Parts: sequence; structure tokens; C-alpha cells
Amino acid sequence: MAAKPTRRVVLVAAATLPCAAAASGCGVKVVGAPPRLAPDVIALREAIAAEQLMVDRYTAVLRDADAALARVLQPLLDEHRAHLAQLRSRLIVPAGSHYQLPASPPRSSPAVPAGTGADIAFLRSAEQAATAAMLDRLRHVPASLAQLFASISASEATHVPALDAAAGQAAP
Amino acid sequence: MTAASTIRALQAALAGENAAIYGYGVAGAYLTGSVRAAATADWVAHQVARDRLEAMLHALGAEPAAAAVAYQLPVRVRGPAGAAALAVVLEDRMATAYLGLVTLSSVAMREYGARQVQAAALRAAAWRGTTVAFPGMTPTALAAPRER
Repeated sequence: MAAKPTRRVVLVAAATLPCAAAASGCGVKVVGAPPRLAPDVIALREAIAAEQLMVDRYTAVLRDADAALARVLQPLLDEHRAHLAQLRSRLIVPAGSHYQLPASPPRSSPAVPAGTGADIAFLRSAEQAATAAMLDRLRHVPASLAQLFASISASEATHVPALDAAAGQAAP
Repeated sequence: MTAASTIRALQAALAGENAAIYGYGVAGAYLTGSVRAAATADWVAHQVARDRLEAMLHALGAEPAAAAVAYQLPVRVRGPAGAAALAVVLEDRMATAYLGLVTLSSVAMREYGARQVQAAALRAAAWRGTTVAFPGMTPTALAAPRER
């Protein structure tokens, strides 16, 4: 008996089905616009790109962080990496697909304000924006993806007071 | 979305809120000073959330399930450390309960549930002293992303 398809499979099918149909189309070449991605695939792709950007931002700040700040930021970076891995696991792109995961390396390092205080404020602002954007995305996606988005949004919300505490310690 | 599934999810969240209110009542007895004040603030937040859930259930024509007289606590509390550990478990359970609202098709319910997950995660992080990557998500939900 065939296994029930997972959400991941459904997402891949939504992204690639027209291509597969074209490839097996009795030698007929399909000319026209590339197939449109399903809305939930777009939301997932946006979430992956946003999470990759958060990883890049933390990595850039950590590069010049002192030991005390690094102790605060490293666990938060690890959580963003976990978010990214979980989001990517929901979307499998088969070999040969035209579809590309967003923000694939190599990437340029994001600009980060210099100085402790400015860099923490930069991350704080980024976390708040990421939290709100993730909440916006969960409105019209399937239930399991909505739960993941809600959980990640909540995790990112908890990073704000953690950064506030770091800013308090760094203040003269 | 059926009204039945909405009522079920709201009742589950309400049961969690009633348990949290009871649990914070116990935890607060072992705390003093600013930590007790924090527990009191969280206790009040859960009462407000309970009232909101009951109003939502009434609006759907459902009778909110009554709170139990007493609850089996998930953590044995004998002092401040146990009280904080209890608060963490209560908040983690609330986050999971509110993720149930996020599975509903109503955008309003999803947004309300997500904001409550966020509130529970913030309280849990304050009691735990650290953050977690996936508040409310069970290992099963993370390991097997199936459409339910």
C-alpha cells in the first residue's frame, strides 16, 4: 500500500508538476511562462530566505563580538539555524528541477552597524520584524506549516528580551 | 473549519489555562519579592486569557468546561526552584495548546492562537532563563511534518 504523501512531497509536487508533465509530453516542447508556485510554497520560500538572513546577520555580528556578547548571541544563532533547517526540511527540491532554494551560498555578508549597542539594536530590530513577518505568513498556509511558523515567530519574539538583557550588560 | 473543531481547540486551551491558574497559585506560595510579583503577573495574565476563551466559547454557543477543584501538578514543588520549573512546564503546555488554534482555518483564530503561543513562550523563557527554538512544538510535530 502506498504511503500517504507527506506535506513535503505535496509541496514539491506543487512546485514541479508542470515541469514533469512537460518533460513527459510525447516530445512536445512547452513554450511559455514558467509554472507559478503554490502560495504555500511561496510563503515557505520567503520564510527560508528570511531565516537565512537572520543567520547571516548574527554570524556577521558575532565575527566582531567580545566573549560576553558571544555567549548571549551564539545560542540565539543556533536557534535560527535550527529554524532554517526545519523550514528547509519542509521543502525538498528534486534534482533537475528549475526551482532554486532562496539565498543559496555564496552570499555577501550583510552590513552591520559597528559597536556594541548599535549591533544589538540592529539584531533586536531584525528580530521584531522577523516575528511580525512570520505571523503574517501563517494566515493562509496549511495547518502544519502554520504551526511551525507560529512556533518560530514565538521563538524569535523571545530573542528580543534576551538581546535587551545583553544591551543592559553592555551599557556603561 | 467546523464549529466543532473550533470549540474543541478552545476547550483544550481553556483546560490549559485553568490548570495554569491553579499551578501558579501553588508556585506563588513558594516565591517571594520580585519573583513572586512576576508569578502574580503571569497568574493574572492566565485569568484574563481564561476569561477571553470563555467569552469566545459562549459566542459560539458552547458551554466552557469548568475548572477542576485540584490538579495533579507535573512538577513537585518544594521551593523556589521547583516553583520556577512548574511555571516553565505550565507555559510550555500552554504554547502547545494554543498551537491547536493555529491549525484552524479561521485567520482570526490563527492569529489569536499565534499571539498566545508567543505570550506563553515569553513567560516560559523568563522562568527558564533561556530561549528555545520551537516553543510548543512536540518532537512528533517536528519530526513528521504531515498535513493533518
